[in-house]
Amino acid sequence: MERSFKAEVESLRLGNGEVFEGEGILAVTKGLLQSGVSYVGGYQGSPISHLIDVLVDAKPLMDQLGVHLETSTSEAAAGAMLAASINYPIRGAVTWKSPVGTNVASDGLSNISSSGVIGGAMIILGEDYGEGASVIQERSHAFAMKSTMWLLDPRPNLPSIVNLVEKGFELSEASNSIVMMQLRIRTCHVYGRFTAKDNREGKISRNHPQQRPEFSLMRLPQPGFTVPQERLKLEQRLPAAIRFISENKLNEQFPGDLSEIGIIMQGGLYNTVMRVMQRIGLADAFGKSRIPLYCMNVTYPMVPDEITAFCAGKRAVLMMEEGHPDYIEQALNTVLRRADINTRVFGKDVLPMGGEYTADVVLKGLAAFLDKVRPAGIDAVIDTAKAQVEKIAGYKASAGELLGNPVPGRNPTFCTGCPERPMFTSIKLAERMVGPTHVSGDIGCHSFGMYPPFHVGNTCVGYGLGLASSTGIAANFGKRTISIMGDGGFWHNGLTTGVASATYNNADSVLIVMKNGYTSATGWQFLPSSAQRREGLEAQDQSIENALRGVGIKWMRKVNNYKVGSVAKVLREALTTAEKGLKVIIAEGECMLAKQRRVRAEDAKNIAAGRRVAKAKFGVDDQVCTGDHSCIRLSGCPSLTIKENPDPLRRDPVATVIESCVGCGLCGEVSHAAILCPSFYKTEVVHNPGVVERGLDRLRRRVITWLATPPAPPTPMIPGEVGLAQAAE
Amino acid sequence: MADTTRPVTILISALGGEGGGVMTDWIIAAAREQNLICQATSVPGVAQRTGATTYYLEVFRDKLEPGKPEPVMALYPQAGDIDLMVASELAEAGRACQNGFVTPDRTTLITSTHRFYLLDEKMGMADSRLDAERLEKAVRAMAKRVIAGDFVRAAREAGTVINAVLLGAMAGSGLLPMPVEAFERAIRSDGKAVEANMRGFHYGLSVARGEVVELAPKTRPLPAAPQTAQPAGTLLALRDRVARDFPPATHEIVIEGVARVVDFQDFDYGKLYLDRLAPILAADGGDYSVTRETARYLALWMAYEDVIRVAQLKTRLARLERVRAGSGGKAEQPVIVTEFLKPGLDEFCSLLPASLAAPLLRWADRTGRRDAFNVGLHIRTSTVLGFALLRMMAKLKAWRRRGYRFGVEQALIARWLAAVEAGLTRDPALGREIAECARLIKGYSDTHRRGQGNFLRLMDTIVDPTLARPAGPDTDANAAAALATARKAALADPEGNALGATLEKLGRVAVAS
Repeated sequence: MERSFKAEVESLRLGNGEVFEGEGILAVTKGLLQSGVSYVGGYQGSPISHLIDVLVDAKPLMDQLGVHLETSTSEAAAGAMLAASINYPIRGAVTWKSPVGTNVASDGLSNISSSGVIGGAMIILGEDYGEGASVIQERSHAFAMKSTMWLLDPRPNLPSIVNLVEKGFELSEASNSIVMMQLRIRTCHVYGRFTAKDNREGKISRNHPQQRPEFSLMRLPQPGFTVPQERLKLEQRLPAAIRFISENKLNEQFPGDLSEIGIIMQGGLYNTVMRVMQRIGLADAFGKSRIPLYCMNVTYPMVPDEITAFCAGKRAVLMMEEGHPDYIEQALNTVLRRADINTRVFGKDVLPMGGEYTADVVLKGLAAFLDKVRPAGIDAVIDTAKAQVEKIAGYKASAGELLGNPVPGRNPTFCTGCPERPMFTSIKLAERMVGPTHVSGDIGCHSFGMYPPFHVGNTCVGYGLGLASSTGIAANFGKRTISIMGDGGFWHNGLTTGVASATYNNADSVLIVMKNGYTSATGWQFLPSSAQRREGLEAQDQSIENALRGVGIKWMRKVNNYKVGSVAKVLREALTTAEKGLKVIIAEGECMLAKQRRVRAEDAKNIAAGRRVAKAKFGVDDQVCTGDHSCIRLSGCPSLTIKENPDPLRRDPVATVIESCVGCGLCGEVSHAAILCPSFYKTEVVHNPGVVERGLDRLRRRVITWLATPPAPPTPMIPGEVGLAQAAE
Repeated sequence: MADTTRPVTILISALGGEGGGVMTDWIIAAAREQNLICQATSVPGVAQRTGATTYYLEVFRDKLEPGKPEPVMALYPQAGDIDLMVASELAEAGRACQNGFVTPDRTTLITSTHRFYLLDEKMGMADSRLDAERLEKAVRAMAKRVIAGDFVRAAREAGTVINAVLLGAMAGSGLLPMPVEAFERAIRSDGKAVEANMRGFHYGLSVARGEVVELAPKTRPLPAAPQTAQPAGTLLALRDRVARDFPPATHEIVIEGVARVVDFQDFDYGKLYLDRLAPILAADGGDYSVTRETARYLALWMAYEDVIRVAQLKTRLARLERVRAGSGGKAEQPVIVTEFLKPGLDEFCSLLPASLAAPLLRWADRTGRRDAFNVGLHIRTSTVLGFALLRMMAKLKAWRRRGYRFGVEQALIARWLAAVEAGLTRDPALGREIAECARLIKGYSDTHRRGQGNFLRLMDTIVDPTLARPAGPDTDANAAAALATARKAALADPEGNALGATLEKLGRVAVAS
């Protein structure tokens, strides 16, 4: 794993009255232990990876509490775990990145929801929406509605979040339904504090196993039972949930003196709304608002009685609902129409339909709402709000004018020394030999190959779906197509949806499996085929090669990614061989970040112990480089960049290798394989050389000094004038 | 409502590997130590590794007390509402201004002035960098107060990462309600690389306090040739000729140019350089900018990069020192140096006489074998044998004039110079544009072939037809404009798509007019 959580593990042990300080997602983890969960599972992904990672490091505590941790190979596997709570009063939680993970898990979730649960079942969703999101922009809200699961969206402060985790389990049990808690990126990463409670051990757990299996047809979504189950959902579980939410006041109301208007919002937006109101003089710093607020910490289901009570007598309310479609706003309108309450609903008409509700967006929407409704006595406030909106627009405009062209974006790219980058260089080189073909990409670090400088990957439709997504076009394409999959995607579902299915259907294409040993993009979690397993699990053989052979792959080549020249040839062979069938190239190269962390420590130890270590780095001869940058177009390595041309006659910047270079060797390979230019060189600094090496080195240096080319004649100055080199100083 | 309850708002924009997370932890630790109310959150760039990550913090001036109501803290920075903007790089500071997070009524901007180039800037075939001067001017204009410096260099000298320097600047800004010592204790209690971090921290602190801090003078990337050797008599003669025959505005480039070609070949070649420039100078009636630019490209072209030149450059003592310095190796440590060379048919033919080389290359082109014979060499120039091999290659200088490539280059140069002169006589702008076309020729193997091909395309399709027509202000101005457009297109993509499209369009326009 990328990070060690030893310090955070300690905070998971805190007891009654002690103060927990730390990240939001770790507070949630603590909340789960306080709720007495007996099983936790999940699939890593920003922003919830730390929930699983910290529990991996917390093995002794988990053993003590009898909690089973499953580092699942996919969200489908994780979601299905909740089935434990169908028959037994056992609490459990699973987690993943949403909505993509929820998509993957949804088959199991639909069925578990139909069966219903008797033990508290919770899903922690890392809602990856808005700025910095790495997935498609959709809402988890739809899953809650279609599968009758309840959706929590707590106010983003640690006490509220942890309280709602605990209440969420009670809600789940009171209504026999799965409860989802949606946490936005900033909430997962927020640093805050809350007063802890003791951890609880589950009634049924590894320490107190269930002894008797329970059977009931009514808990199975089989024909003849799904229809009654649907009735149960609507006639019992939903009313029970609404009752529980209302009785426990999970939604919060905050009074205000401007009683002719009100704001209804998702809990997660509360802090933003409060800050914006504070800035225009409608609230103070401590949460006292002049506008009455209804804060939905439970966004599904809605509690109609609370809504009608809040809206009654108001001229207008503003619905603050992030994301589209505007599910809550629609429901709100329905509730008000049914109750014949004539409060006007503003929402997506003054706020944008899609996108993240940042402070700027909220300010603009609130200003527009107030301007349209014009409540009595706050004209000055409305003017302030409008003036602020204009001022910000003015500042942005003048910055734009001063800057000229907008600053281009910083696209994600492979890390320095990444073993996946060379594969894209190889694909580019293979394309030069046999022409370009269709490439079906996949999710993972390798999806960065779609960005400049490579532009390799014509589609990217889901995790592990690289090969599956190629089958339709491969059969109808004039050349053999390529698909890409990471080892993460391979185990997630690629082995079955891709390799097994394509082989079964006589595919004749090329699959590249990037084997870097971890799910690297999410923080180096181990995989079935990793060289190591998580602490406490014994090593076992789950190799990609064996799996491939098992599903009937005949043409299989393992390549070392950094050997660009030979990889390009293997690619050409795969693309042109007369042999039919799926051709799989296993592209090997350990994640460089993980490797460096290990190697650096080893090197430091060896150097300290006096052992010989040679540290490699690449360089560019800036007098030989002509500033064409074709090396950069074939690599894109962050350590390979440009600098001012030291030659006073030349204008274009030259390539340069900066200190972060790890000496992976790609630069040398590329300059060979692409016949680029002779300016690259590799240096290896030898630490602790032996006597012989030192002596030889001294001798060599002496001879080389004697052999060296005479220095270039110095530029002869015209007396009294400044030369170019001086002028540049 | 009173402003005393306003938190200090801090937005930090850092790139992967710059320790933004650790810096945030230090700030939190300093605030916690003072029992101040503080909240922090972050949004990682799409790639955890390489994108920009932003951190947003709020620190209340109030102390945390039991029973006292706690403020509602925001998780989003608001445009126009940032007290302290910290950018670890100049373009990120520009981006922050663009997003409204740096405003003249409120924001103190702490920014490093160095550039970490975007891929768009690095990939360009010529120079695609953002205008750093404009960028810096813009961010300075947008901020209420600026604390700026090359913090990356300062960090490097302190042996630490930029985060420590930025933290020092924040502590020294006087905007945060924590004393400097609280930050120092945060670094110390962290326990990692404490001394180096403290050095970096104090550098940033001093910059923020307006104290003058001298960094070690920036070493010029290209060490000037050792001054011990005096220019030989002949070079002095060439210098005197430049001083006598050329106007002062051209001196620095022509002198640099003549020294370059003499180093490349010999004194006669230097004389040829000046002889070639003479007619251009004679035709140049303006501010001599055409002569200057022609002198620049002529020197670079005459000192073209063949294997002999590469070997010459790679076997200089100064270069050996540069390589050692770049490797980070200490004086007494052995440094193994490996060169990556892949000579092939082109390099071989460049040394053969034209009578052999020309038919051989024609055959290779016909049969698609131009790049079929390249041999990848790993030459260890830190060994005597490897170095001697390159040194011998450099010695082939004496043979160069008899080789095929020398003749080809001289013929092309002559063609280009004649066109520059003819253009210059008609219209200085046209002359200048023709001179600039030489910028397209650079690089090695297929990069070089492509550049040369583009150059020839411009000569064939625009320059020669224009010069063949009678001079006229419209014809010449149009041609100059067309050349500028086409040259830009030639540098737009390596596949030549933009150039093809541009030439086609220009051709249609020419036909239409």
